Amino acid sequence: MLKSVTSSGVAAPQATTGATSPQAKMVTISINGKEVEVKEGSTIIEAYYQSGLDIAHYCWHPGLSIAGVCRLCMVEIEGNPRLQIACNTTVVAGMKVNNSSAKVKDAVKWGLDFHLINHPLDCPICDQAGECGLQDQYMKYGQYDSEMGEQKVKKHKVVDLGPRVVLDSERCILCSRCVRFTDEVSKTHELGIFNRGDRAEIGTFEGKPLANNYSLNTVDICPVGALTSRDFRFRQRVWFLKNAETVCTGCSTGCNVKVYFNKEGLFRMKPVYNPNVNGHWMCDVGRDTYKFVNKEARLLEAKVVSSGKSQEMPAMELAKKLGATLRGHGTSAALVLTGSYSVEEYEAIVSYFKTDVGTKNIYHWINNPETFDSFDGLLFRGDKNPNTRGLLEVLKAQGISGSWKELVDGIGTGAIKTVVVAGPENQANFPDMKVKIAELSKVAKLVWLTSGKNAELDALTGDVALLPVKSYVEKAGSFVNHAGLRQQVDRVMTVVPGAVSLTELVDLMKEVGDAMTVKSTAATETVPAISANQIGQGRINNEFTLSRGVW
Amino acid sequence: MAIAIEKVKRAEATDTWYMPGILWGLLLTFKSLVLNLIDYIPSVVGVKKRQIMPTVNYPEEKYEYSPRFKGNHVLTVKKDGSLRCTACMLCATNCPADCIKITASEHEDPSVEKFPIAYEIDILRCVFCGFCEEACPVDAIRMGPEWQTPGVNGSEFIYDIKHLAYRPQLKGGIVSVLDEKERHEAGI
Amino acid sequence: MAEIKYLSEHYAKPEYQTLDGYKKFGGYEMLAKALKMEPQKIIDEVKASGLRGRGGAGFATGVKWGFLPNNGEPRYLLCNADESEPGTFKDRVMMERAPHQLIEGMLISAFAIKSNKAYIYIRGEYMGPAAILEKAIAEAKAAGLIGKNILGAGFDCELDLYLGAGAYICGEETGMISSLEGLKGQPKLKPPFPAVQGYLRKPTIVNNVETLAAVVPIIRDGAAGYRKYGTEKSAGTKLFSISGNVNKPGTYEVPLGYPLMDLINIECGGLKPGRKLKAVVPGGSSAPVLTAEECKTATLDYECLAQLGSMLGSGAIIVIDDSNCMVDVLSTISHFYHHESCGQCTPCREGTGWMERIIHGIVHGHGSEGEVDLLLKIADNMKGRTICALSDAAALPVLSFVTKFRDEFEYFIREKKSKVRGGQIYAQISH
Repeated sequence: MLKSVTSSGVAAPQATTGATSPQAKMVTISINGKEVEVKEGSTIIEAYYQSGLDIAHYCWHPGLSIAGVCRLCMVEIEGNPRLQIACNTTVVAGMKVNNSSAKVKDAVKWGLDFHLINHPLDCPICDQAGECGLQDQYMKYGQYDSEMGEQKVKKHKVVDLGPRVVLDSERCILCSRCVRFTDEVSKTHELGIFNRGDRAEIGTFEGKPLANNYSLNTVDICPVGALTSRDFRFRQRVWFLKNAETVCTGCSTGCNVKVYFNKEGLFRMKPVYNPNVNGHWMCDVGRDTYKFVNKEARLLEAKVVSSGKSQEMPAMELAKKLGATLRGHGTSAALVLTGSYSVEEYEAIVSYFKTDVGTKNIYHWINNPETFDSFDGLLFRGDKNPNTRGLLEVLKAQGISGSWKELVDGIGTGAIKTVVVAGPENQANFPDMKVKIAELSKVAKLVWLTSGKNAELDALTGDVALLPVKSYVEKAGSFVNHAGLRQQVDRVMTVVPGAVSLTELVDLMKEVGDAMTVKSTAATETVPAISANQIGQGRINNEFTLSRGVW
Repeated sequence: MAIAIEKVKRAEATDTWYMPGILWGLLLTFKSLVLNLIDYIPSVVGVKKRQIMPTVNYPEEKYEYSPRFKGNHVLTVKKDGSLRCTACMLCATNCPADCIKITASEHEDPSVEKFPIAYEIDILRCVFCGFCEEACPVDAIRMGPEWQTPGVNGSEFIYDIKHLAYRPQLKGGIVSVLDEKERHEAGI
Repeated sequence: MAEIKYLSEHYAKPEYQTLDGYKKFGGYEMLAKALKMEPQKIIDEVKASGLRGRGGAGFATGVKWGFLPNNGEPRYLLCNADESEPGTFKDRVMMERAPHQLIEGMLISAFAIKSNKAYIYIRGEYMGPAAILEKAIAEAKAAGLIGKNILGAGFDCELDLYLGAGAYICGEETGMISSLEGLKGQPKLKPPFPAVQGYLRKPTIVNNVETLAAVVPIIRDGAAGYRKYGTEKSAGTKLFSISGNVNKPGTYEVPLGYPLMDLINIECGGLKPGRKLKAVVPGGSSAPVLTAEECKTATLDYECLAQLGSMLGSGAIIVIDDSNCMVDVLSTISHFYHHESCGQCTPCREGTGWMERIIHGIVHGHGSEGEVDLLLKIADNMKGRTICALSDAAALPVLSFVTKFRDEFEYFIREKKSKVRGGQIYAQISH
């Protein structure tokens, strides 16, 4: 579970729309014969969500405007002979609403049937199967035999809307969520509905593909399998995946995300609603941040190169050797930190260097200073580190203020003999990787802590040690985002069993935690097998159910 | 309340004695021996008589099971010889032994859309329950009458597409006759 | 009672199209009169006259005008000339014969609702009437009747013509507003209603051509003068477009409350010899059909037709005699609604197509038992479940045709041929 705490001394996080304010005036209405208190000015569908009740819907989405086209959220309002849609009717004190009557149930059943008559029902090859709004709501509100005996309408299949999104028009139920998303949230207006009647199709304008940095949100909000992600397409059936909540490390916004994984690794990321950070959305760049976590991109074993010979060894062994070398090394040792690690890790390693090693030569490697303060106005920030702010706070608290020039000069004069680098997790965000490796490899002894593989590091011939560290899904810790919001995450899974976190590394170097304890955590942190219960949870745990706890 | 007592008749030595059963069995064996000899002698002199000999000269001669026997898996093919399988993974989902591994990919023909580039069955794990056949929505996997699964090393027990769909015994593949139109008409 | 030339008094005179000709018969005098009145007085007069919207819904015009909020926002007057209901062609006659009557009526209405900008949204296929209107507007502009300080009364009003692209749905007021805004012609979710947030999210009044034109005689004769015609609840006269199997189809003006059979037999010269009346669609293709029996008692006013389960609609009367197979008629109607559904709301988008395919199947001899009931079920579940009334418009004919002529449908399904025309091939419906 994700916890958010505001760190002291920083501005409160900016509130985004949708944040619940406790001051909101409440009105009492009756839903299905039960008196409930809801916020004044809410629509009936919001009232259902606020009081934890169930209502069928497709086109309504809390983050988008009201379209009122799926006609599924029908409710009976006392005093009104016609059924009304809940999404476009505002609550009035004393209103009596009901969606459990036979009339409403029949209307919803027919609403579903209208959605399904031209739907291809190719669930076996549809990626949405298992988290599909049509499947879920059919099981919940439908369960009838269709009387449709005519040929279904044929439309375009496998249409490339853009580099990341594929459209299947036959599956589309024209809820217009994706169109509204590009109009209202990304404001890029790429998508439109073309043609009319049951020949209507989603499409892009000629020469204007769906290529914005938020395009994959359309896949998330698509209630059916019409929009699928090119990246995730056909790679896994969703019921083989488990999910866990964590924070995206793609930039300093720190969007709350869900990672989907199985024993083979991570497969995709989706946003989790958090009104104080990212609302309902996340960017496409952030969605790629699972890729450097998977095994094929990772450094699996520690590696020591000395006098031209390279030798692989377990990380723990190297850590202990390092501890022996560094203890009392004094000011000829230096530490370079990037913004990829958690606050707890920074605290551990900085205090280790200050007290056990006896040096204040600790430097901050800033990856892209030119774009550091840029912001695209929605979520994506130029500071592509999850925890720059946390690092700066730790350095400030420990009274450390070294400039990069001091480090380079120290290496040049030979005053600094050993450099330990806590390298970046996502190397793609560090365009100066090559330059920095060249700069730092001039030192007599270089220790590089890295989670990913790197060809340049492998090619170094001096006295170099490479040590695999854990990626952000493999450890618990907290990240401070650009606004000073401290978000704590739990461990999700283990990808590289031999890797250590910086905290574990410090423990090993201090030899306070013996090898066995560390080893045992690594050994027990295997992926538990998917149980039937978890599969069930994964299936119903989409936005059409109320179990998200955001409303 | 009175307790009703029923006397249970215990088995006696005459009931549990095994000898009668053994002798009865041996009688059958002996009968077969005699009958086989009677059958065999005329065939030596060239007179054709009914063949009732119940033994085969394995492995030169192989006994064929009924075509309905649920033995080794077969992946069916379409009329053009390509795999019927759509890589929906329902068989893998349903498999209690977790022995099916499918890697799906995008087909160049948009009407096919999804197809398996790898389909592997670990036959040593398979329990021949037939759930894969049951789960398949498109008649892509069947269990055939073959039952012999010899192999000299572990890799031979992992059946790939080449073996499952195109092994020589299948003579070019088992065609699943339903095409799209037929499926529609049949209401599948 | 007989046909009355009240609105259409001078329609036969070709010079009535021009500004000079129109002025000869008292044109634009009522505008001058109205501009001297209080706007609220005009609204009250229209309210008192009992004028009801002639586009189809029959909502009281004066009441509609009263819905405008007093928030100081600019207001718009839109004239709905997107006359696309099958069977309706009365607006076309009005625009062709008396374009200035419409312009005058619009200017008076704009003055009454304090709007300085008015549009005529005309159907895409009406290129002829559009050209006539265009010319009339140019004439009026040149004469200072449109623009700044009209007739020196200090009232400014711009009036422009907008040619649609030929979609039935743009005749629905919010669909029309979307189209006018440059969006895809799709109805908007209500509330907010156009009177509160319409064109460009500003208060907007949308009225039919005939409604706006009728404002002129109301100003001339006063509410009482207008009420001379028609009934208590359905006041005034109305233009009816009669088509189908009658000897003299066309547009006729009669007072509301006029007997339907009189209109057919007297004005339209009755049916062709030897034919018997089978059914009448009284208010455009979306109105439920009336059987010959029901027609006997029907009078042409809002109340009587509502009582018969149908509606006056736009006043398009389609007369069907016994040479027609009702399955064929419904097939054509349902094809139209399938083609014209905007595709926004699911019940209408999918339901219109589904119904059409079923009826089409029946016509082509593929019908199966139970489809008649299925049609009723589909139509019943489309009715009243969508943003606009197109879904109802598609469902009502199906419901009425299938209920009232069920035997013809069942015969067709059973015998694979029409009860009326036999196995003869019905002209293929193009798709």
